[in-house]
Order: sequence, then structure tokens, then C-alpha cells
Amino acid sequence: MEEIRTGVYICHCGLNIAGVVDVEEVAKYAGQLPGVVVSREYRYMCSDPGQDLIKDDIKELGVNRVVVASCSPRMHEPTFRKAVEDGGLNPYLYEHANIREHCSWVHDDKELATNKAKDLVRAAVRRVCRHEPLVVREAPFTPSVLVIGGGIAGMQAALDIANGHQKVYLVERDPSIGGHMAQLDRTFPTLDCSECILTPKMSDVGHHPFIELHTYSEVEEVSGSIGSFKVKIRKKARYVDESKCVGCGDCEEKCPWKVPSEYEMGLAKRGVIYIPFAQAIPNVATIDGEHCVYLQKGKCRACEKACEAGAIDFEQKDEIIEVEVGAIIVATGYDQFDPAVISQYGYRRFDNVLTGLEFERLTCAAGPTEGKILLKDGREPESVALVHCVGSRDQNYHEYCSRVCCMYALKYAHLAKELTKADVYQFYIDMRCFGEGYEEFYNRLSEEGVNFIRGKVAKITDDAVTDEEKGKLVVVSEDTLLGKLIRVPVDMVILCSALQPRADAENVGKILNINRRADGFFLERHVKLDPVATPTDGIFIAGCCEAPRDIPDTVAQAEATAAKALSLISRGTVTLEAAISTVDESICHGCGRCEEVCPFSAPSIVSKNGVMVSEINEALCKGCGACAVICPTGAVTIKHFTQDEILAQVDALTEAR
Amino acid sequence: MAGFEPQIIAFCCNWCTYAAADLAGTSRMQYPANVRIVRVMCSGMVNPLYVLKAFEGGVDGVLIAGCHLTDCHYIDGPTKCDAMVDKLREMLHVLGLEDERLRREMVAASEGVLFARVIKEMVEQLKKIGPSPFKARTEALA
Amino acid sequence: MEVLSPYKEATEVILEAGGEPLKLCYQCGLCTGTCPWNMVRSFLVRRIMHEAQLGAVDFGSEDVWTCVTCKACVDRCPRGVEIIDVMRALRRAVASLGIGVVPDALRISAKNIAGVGNPLGEPPERRNDWAKDLKVKDFAKGTEVLYFPCCVPSYDPGVKNVARSVAAIFDRLKIDYGLIGTEAKCCGEAIRKAGYEETFQSLAQNNIDLFTSNGVKTVVVSSPHCYHTFKAEYPELGGEFEVLHIAQYLASLIDKGKLKLSKELNKKVVYSDPCYLGRHNHIYDEPREILKAIPGLELLEFPDARENGLCCGGGGGRIWMDTPKGERFSDIRVEQAAEMGADIIAVACPYCVLNYTDSVLSMGKAETMQVKDIAELVAEAM
Ligand SMILES: Cc1cc2nc3c(=O)[nH]c(=O)nc-3n(C[C@H](O)[C@H](O)[C@H](O)COP(=O)(O)OP(=O)(O)OC[C@H]3O[C@@H](n4cnc5c(N)ncnc54)[C@H](O)[C@@H]3O)c2cc1C
Ligand code: SF4
Ligand code: SF4
Ligand code: FES
Repeated sequence: MEEIRTGVYICHCGLNIAGVVDVEEVAKYAGQLPGVVVSREYRYMCSDPGQDLIKDDIKELGVNRVVVASCSPRMHEPTFRKAVEDGGLNPYLYEHANIREHCSWVHDDKELATNKAKDLVRAAVRRVCRHEPLVVREAPFTPSVLVIGGGIAGMQAALDIANGHQKVYLVERDPSIGGHMAQLDRTFPTLDCSECILTPKMSDVGHHPFIELHTYSEVEEVSGSIGSFKVKIRKKARYVDESKCVGCGDCEEKCPWKVPSEYEMGLAKRGVIYIPFAQAIPNVATIDGEHCVYLQKGKCRACEKACEAGAIDFEQKDEIIEVEVGAIIVATGYDQFDPAVISQYGYRRFDNVLTGLEFERLTCAAGPTEGKILLKDGREPESVALVHCVGSRDQNYHEYCSRVCCMYALKYAHLAKELTKADVYQFYIDMRCFGEGYEEFYNRLSEEGVNFIRGKVAKITDDAVTDEEKGKLVVVSEDTLLGKLIRVPVDMVILCSALQPRADAENVGKILNINRRADGFFLERHVKLDPVATPTDGIFIAGCCEAPRDIPDTVAQAEATAAKALSLISRGTVTLEAAISTVDESICHGCGRCEEVCPFSAPSIVSKNGVMVSEINEALCKGCGACAVICPTGAVTIKHFTQDEILAQVDALTEAR
Repeated sequence: MAGFEPQIIAFCCNWCTYAAADLAGTSRMQYPANVRIVRVMCSGMVNPLYVLKAFEGGVDGVLIAGCHLTDCHYIDGPTKCDAMVDKLREMLHVLGLEDERLRREMVAASEGVLFARVIKEMVEQLKKIGPSPFKARTEALA
Repeated sequence: MEVLSPYKEATEVILEAGGEPLKLCYQCGLCTGTCPWNMVRSFLVRRIMHEAQLGAVDFGSEDVWTCVTCKACVDRCPRGVEIIDVMRALRRAVASLGIGVVPDALRISAKNIAGVGNPLGEPPERRNDWAKDLKVKDFAKGTEVLYFPCCVPSYDPGVKNVARSVAAIFDRLKIDYGLIGTEAKCCGEAIRKAGYEETFQSLAQNNIDLFTSNGVKTVVVSSPHCYHTFKAEYPELGGEFEVLHIAQYLASLIDKGKLKLSKELNKKVVYSDPCYLGRHNHIYDEPREILKAIPGLELLEFPDARENGLCCGGGGGRIWMDTPKGERFSDIRVEQAAEMGADIIAVACPYCVLNYTDSVLSMGKAETMQVKDIAELVAEAM
């Protein structure tokens, strides 16, 4: 048997560890543990000179097992495995002890923390002796990507990948791509028209030879893992043959039934058969089955008569499409918070209390008022109030800041002034204008004569106390800079509503097996250093499904996810888990319990030399360990997590120092 | 039981609870230093033997924590773990160990606060019920 | 120019007195805009939070004593600041440390409570005199329900009828109830909010010992203030018993079909939510259910009902302090009720009875408007 020669390296991590844990003492302690031939402490083990210590000791001292005690293995285990490998050892002859996240950062008592660090190191040393060299296997990477959500984030990611000549499946739930950006009129801070910059992109997506677009579709099931995800897409019946429809709109005109238009935020109506907006991609009609009188009650078919192209097809059924992709980009965006729950703001009770997206539609030349800002009774408002932080920065609703509201409020202040000459009152708590050109935009609006009032609005009422207030909406707040209660009578109030997670985010998370943060948005792998990856390999997140953000940041994130996907594709293979299950055929009874319990169907019972034994399909095994727990004979083990290793670790932890 | 500091071993799944403990660290939440974490890939990987070994070694409490039911990286590890824990509890009863000594939790990667709270609670509870009866036995044997 | 420098010691005094939550305040001013005082005078809640953060509170100012603890602001504050706790901390700093001045009226009530166990300064042995002619039994071990009427109905001749109505209802329904001996003292809820923590502690201890030694299991109260402190504050001091407000108790009797209301009352009645029943304890429906069960009664709702209900002005010890004409919330309520054409303002709190009755009288509306506790209405409708 080979002689175990372990090297132990204790990292100071500057003062992050050394400020609490007595690293010298831990190193000294480790030095006298059985099997340890060298024990060092160093300022930053992850730095090049730190890694060189390991490599040199392997070469010069014949170290054949390595333990590093530093930050979380989720951060630097790969770094040190690589160093071990570069030093000429198998990378799995390595064990990590977490003495930062699990020790120095959570305990401030120096003695207790030092003792804990010693225990963790002792356990790692005990376990590393039992590690075996493992072979890292590679599997081919399917060179295609699924993008879920066709807002600006999803479109941008899809285009970047497709322009690199790799296949993209873009799945959008609505009848058209475009997302919220398609509803915006102009965009801060430059005030360029949203449509003008978005339409060309939508059209590119619609025609790109490398993009297979599935609108009115949803992802129903995802299995597999990085490199080969198997995806089931439900293409909902739109009762219109996409290949025949020419997008003329005759059907919608003839449809006798009208319902509120989602695109117009309910401010206008659409037909039950409809094309959501003029620039829709694909430019084809869709029958809203829930409201269709023929589909519900069996009588009507007016659209069928109107359609010269003969595209209407009431026999159409939902279709399931199966595709295989190497990576997935989630870009499902956000929902606007419904301010009706804040009853004192009177949304839905008062005609002229609007949300941001509603106002957006009013200012749009193609919108329900042809770009005129009008009150419900058709008059132009003489005064407008903007209420910030509606549902944001408020622990009764959402604790986070929605990041775009200050800026879109400024945009509306400008538009209201430009289009109506109204007096504008902006009620804010803090102005957050952090982006490029944003502070300048704020400055410009001050110049335009907007009245800024610092205070969170307490209520909006039509209960007039002076003649001036009669017939108006009165916005009540403290002007916190004056230290006075202020009542401002206005004609129109715009509530700058929070951006919140999609109502179905939980379900999407389940389908993809990705987590959400406490605020409900999808969780990134690392806030700072891996912001567009999820903890699940091969699945990335872009845009507002991860957190509220503006278009520039959304686009940057989308491009980042595309780069991640392209880099996986260009490598061409994925490294498979090495720590997987293996069977000791000499003790296996062939009982098949492992086969029953495995969620990935990796084990199967086969006959070998006339004896029934379990055989593991290495390509399928993910190393979850369920088989090893259930196996009555102990024939199955998970490499790198063997019973022997974990028992040794536990044993070491229970011993006295 | 003045000055009694319970010893706890926590088996944490790599994907959720281990990450939650990392998050507690990055957020600098303080919790008692009585716990030692053993990283496993999935809560469904925890073999009852590991727990028994820990108790035999004299620890006062064991925590098994992993993903929430539907978050598991390997689909249904938590369900298997629950079943294992149910059986294990019966065994611990027979051995005369109090129920509180074995705790099963689901702590998602984002729930650093919950992780810290679980440890705090466990330490408090174990302080109340005192050292494991096994500790005395092992010490007597030694 | 007057220069201000932060005064850490003062902040510390406030923090120690229970003002910890104030640290969270981010100065949005929502509390000021929500606080009903600003309908009648300026009261900058937000500024008080900031002054407290910097230790720049003017302890001599009447602002320290203004808050009625109605909880409107707390329920809305985006940072979850327990503003009432901060206000109480300021008062504690004054009352117990002697910085600043306690308003005279409050000082007298506080002295009475500490001395004879009730704010009116009445002799303790007369606590149960309201029931002298009713032959209500004394609570003894095994009695099902203890009825605890609150000091106001016990002593105030104008409010006595609230307690007497409860007794009448209970007698008619043959409920096994009793009154506790005259050693009982004020529940202490309001005096605690007024900053007299030690007084509260001793009142609470007295009552808890009394209840416990008598084997009390269920207490029915007429005042939401007693309800609140029995339910939320006594348990921490070791007082654990089931607490029911009379509205809950009567509503459940109606629900079970045990209490039937047969006499018609052809009146328009508007119900005013007491802060300590509503916002503090989320009891909104039971009083309304009771009123709806009275035949002929037309129930009206204030535009700002339930969660948004306006305070009568009597919480937080304000019931003992003078509020000048023109600043009384109860006047606003009575005016509203009159505009709605209500004949009766129904309440479920003795403080509300006092304040609204006062307003009705001082506004010269006694001919057209009555103030009644729901127990009084029920007794009449039986
Ligand atoms: C009132 C308002 C004004 C704004 N003004 C500006 C501005 O002027 N400038 C600026 O920079 N930013 C502005 N923003 C922010 C801007 O809207 C966002 O940055 C941007 O829209 C985010 O794009 P996205 O693709 O991430 O999300 P979204 O636009 O929400 O797109 C997500 C897409 O995914 C689809 N989808 C969702 N769930 C699924 C599913 N399960 N399966 C398939 N598809 C799905 C949706 O149908 C949608 O098409 C504003 C926001 C608001 C609320
Ligand atoms: S509402 Fe809350 S955060 Fe806002 S000023 Fe008042 S106490 Fe401070
Ligand atoms: S509790 Fe009521 S009275 Fe006191 S500050 Fe808040 S809103 Fe004003
Ligand atoms: S991966 Fe966390 S419990 Fe299975």
C-alpha cells in the first residue's frame, strides 16, 4: 500500500480568516496529524504563489494527498483541484475544509473559531487518505440553445447565438414576441422611441435561419442536464394556420366579440380573434379560445367567413414539440405590481389614477388615445402627480427597489410637460438615477420645471376640503423637507408600480429545477461573480426574471448569457460528474432496489456469468447517492463519497482535539 | 447544566443547505460555533449509519438538511431522506435518544437566515435537554 | 444660526426605553401623512423619529404626549417601524427619568392609578357598586366566565350602563359568570402607553395573581384596551387565560343560536371601529355581525371604516388629557355620522363611549344622535 503523504494548507484570506481564526495554530496542529508531512499557512492560497506551494510540495516532498482550508469549496475547490492536477496528481486526491463561510465569518469568538477550524481540518485530513484517483469523463455537448421568453432579453440572447450560427429554439408564451418593451412608448433617458429600436430586432428574430420561433407556446417539461436537456414544448392551438395567415386583420374586424386588450392594458378592446399589435411577430392572428363564442358555445365562425386565405382552423389541437438542447436561457421577465391592494391610493376606484404601463399606452401615437394624454372624460389634464415607490421599498409589499421607477417617472414628467403643458408634481423618497445619462436627465427635468416633493404619498382622495380641491384628486403627503403636510389637487395620478416576479415564476422554477430568492426572482449562482448563471449547470438567466432592471442592463445580461452558451458550444463537450455510483459485483445480490430508487434510471439488473447483478450506466448516473443508501448489502458506493470516507470524517469530528 | 456546549454534526446537501450556510457566512450572520458541517451531495445520500456513527461518537445532536421537496438537484432526494429519517427515529427511540437530538430541515440556497436560525434553535434546545446519554456511556467505556 | 449636534446620550436613553425600532426609519413621511392628527393640527411623526435618531428630541414639547397609539401609521410604515413603541419610549424617558414635563391631567390620573388602582381616583371598594342591585355573584373557583368591565364603566356614571347591559344579557342567558373582588385594579394598558412602565408592571402583577389564585380560565371584557393587554402583554408576565371581547362572545352566542334578538330597532346605526379592537387586534366582523342581527337596524359604514378607521382620540393615555375643541377626532366622527343621517353611533369601547358622548353633547346634537355600546344595543333588542 502506498504511504499517505498529506500536505495541509491553511489560508489567511487576508484578515477574512486570519482575523478570527489563529491560522498559525491550526497549521501547527495539522502538522502533527497522522499522515501529514507538511502543513503551511499562507496569506492567499488561491493566488499563484499560493497554488505554487502545493505544486512544489507535490514535486519536492512527494505529497500525494492535499487539504486546503480556506473559503467555501463552492468557490475554490475547482481552483485547488486544478493546482493538484498541475502538480502531477489526480485532482480527486484533494479535500477542502471551509473555514471562512462556515467559520470565521459566522463566529466572532477567536478560540471557538480556531477550535472549529482544527476540527474541520482534522476531518478533512482523515477523509483525504481514503480518496481514490477518479477519471474525468467528457460527453458531447448538443450545439443548440433553448431561450424561454421573447422579451428584449430573450430576443437579444437568441440573436447573439443565432448570429454565431448556432441553433436557437425561442419559446414565447404570448401570440407575439416583444415583451414589455413593445408596450413602451419612449425610453429613458434618451427618449428614443421604443418601437423604432425594437421592431427591427423583432423582425430579425422572426426571419433568422438559426432561430426556430415558437410563439403562443410554453415549456412543459425539461429533463436531462447540461449538454443534453430534453425539452417538451406545448404549442397551444391558435386555431389559425400560421402558414396561410397573411396578417391582413380582416378576421378581427369581422369578429363580433370584443374583449379588453392586454397589450393596451385594458384601455382599448381587441377582437376575440386578434393580432396583438401592428408590429407583432409573427404577424398572424390568434383565436383566444377562452372567449371564442364558437369554441365555447358552438355558434359564430364569423372569422372563418372573413378570411380569404382560408387560414382559420377550428380543428387545430395543442401540439407537443420535443427538442434537445445543450443549454437553456431563461428570460421570462416581470409582472407589474397591482396597486389596487394599496386601497388608500384608489387605483380602480378613481378613473384617473393610472399605472406606469397604462400611461405608457396613452402617450403612444399608436395607442388608444393616439398619443394624447387624456383624462377619462376626454379632457387634457392641467396637473399630474407621479407617485414613486408604489409597492417597492416597502416591507408590506416588496422590500427591494424596482430600479427603473425613478427614471420612468422622470420620463413621464417630461412627456406630460411636452404633450400637455400640465403642472407636474413628483412625490419621491429618494431619487435613484444611477445609470449613464440618468443624473443628467434628472437635471434636465428640474430645468423643465417639475415640482419635486420629498415624501411618500399617504393617500389619494376625492374628498375636497377647499374649493380648489373640488373635482380633483388630492394627493396627500408630508413634504418632509418642509416638515409640513401637503395636499396637492391634480387631475391625473400615475402610480409608479413595482416590478415583481412573474405570477408563474414558481412553476417555471420547478420545471427547470432552479431556485428563487426570498424576493421571488430567480437566484443567480453568485451575486457578483456569476450573475447570469444559476446553480444548475447549463441554465442561465437574463433580464427582469432575475431582478428588476432597465433595458441597457437587460440587454447586457442577455448578451452575457449568449456568450456563456456559445462558449459551452464552442468547447463541444461537457465534463461529466466523476463522483458517481459503482457496484461491487462480488457482493451484489441483484435485488434491484437501486434500479427502483434511481431517479435517472442509471442502474439496471443484468446477468453476468449467470449471476444477476446491478450495472451502472455511467452516462446517466449523477451521483445523488440514493442507490448507495438503499442497497441492503452495501454493494453500491458513490465514488468520492464512500461510506468509508464519510464515516471517517464523522469519526474524526467526534474525537477530542 | 451550566457551561454545557452541545456538539452538533450537520449533514448538508451541496446544492441548497450547504449553499445556505455559505450565504449565512457571506452575510456575516452570527450563530453558535457548536456545529460542524459534513457536505453531502444530496440529502438522499445520507446513510443512517452516518447518523448512528455520530451519536455513537458522542455528539449531542445531528441535523440533516437539504433542498425543499421540489428543489432537489436529483429530483426526489428529500422524499427519500424523509423516509430514512422516519425509520431512523424509531431506531433512536429504541436506543433511548430524545427526538430533539435528530433534526430534519429543508433550507434553500437563499435561506441563509433560516440556516442560522436552525442552528441557534438547535443549540438552545440541546442545552435544555443536556448532553447525549451516549456521551456518558462512551466516556465510561473509554 | 442655531447649530445642532447629535446627542448620543439622549438617543441611548430612548433606545433603552424600548425605542429600538426607530433605527429603521428612512424618513419617508408616510406616517405623518397617515396620522389623523394632521387633519386637525400639525404633528410630524417622521420628524420625531429623526429627532430621536439624532438624540435631538425636545422632551418638553407636547408632541411627546400627542400620539393616540391608534396604529394607523405602524400598519403602513414601509420599514415596519413600531412607531408606538418609540412614542412610548419617549414618554418613559420623561416619566421615569424626569427629563421634560408630564402634562398635569395625565400626572393626576397616573397618581390615581398607582394609588387606588383606577384613573378616576375612586375608592377601590366601590369598584363593583355598578352592579349592587343586580345580585351578580362573586367569581369563585369553577365559575365559567369572569366579566371584567374596565374602570370606566365600573365608576363613571355615564358609562355604567355598558356594564349593566352585559350583566343583563348574561342573566337572561343564564350564563355562569361572576365579578372579581374589589382588589382588582386597572388593566394598565393605557398607563403603560403613557410611559409609566413600573405602574403597569405592578398593576399587571396584581391582576395576574388575583386571577390565577381565583382559578380564572376565561375573561370577558368590555374594553378593547383590557383585551389587548390581557391578550398580548400579560402572558409575558405569566398571566395565561382565555380572553374574549364582549363582541366576540356575543357574536359566537348569536352564531350558535343561543342569543336571539327579537325586538326591532328601526334606526340607522353607524359602527365606529375602536383602534384596539380593529387595527390592534383585527376584530372587525364580529361587532358588525351583532348589529346586523338586530331586526330593523340599518347598518351604515363610515367611508374610512375597518383598517382605515378613525380613532376616537382616547388611546395612549389621551383619554385623560385635554384636547382642545377643534382638535377632537370624535367631533369629526360625529359630524360624519350626522351627515350620513345616522341616529346612533355604535361603539365597542368605553373610551369611545366617553369621547363620542362628549362630542355629541358639546356639538349640541344630543337631540338627534345617540352613542351606544353594542352591549347596550343587544340588551335592548333581547
Ligand atoms: C412602466 C415601465 C416603464 C419602463 N420604461 C423603461 C424605459 O424607458 N427605459 C428602460 O430602459 N427600461 C424601462 N422599463 C424597464 C423595461 O420594461 C425592462 O427592462 C424590460 O422590458 C425587461 O425585458 P425582459 O425581456 O427581461 O422582460 P419582459 O419584457 O417582461 O419579457 C419577458 C417575455 O417572456 C415571456 N414569458 C414570460 N413567462 C413565460 C413563460 N413561462 N414561457 C414563455 N414565455 C414567457 C413574456 O410573455 C414576455 O414576452 C420600464 C418598465 C416599466 C414597468
Ligand atoms: S413611515 Fe416609517 S419609515 Fe416612513 S418616516 Fe414614518 S417611521 Fe420613518
Ligand atoms: S399611532 Fe396614530 S396617533 Fe400615533 S403617530 Fe401613529 S398615526 Fe399618529
Ligand atoms: S440536492 Fe439538495 S436534497 Fe437533493
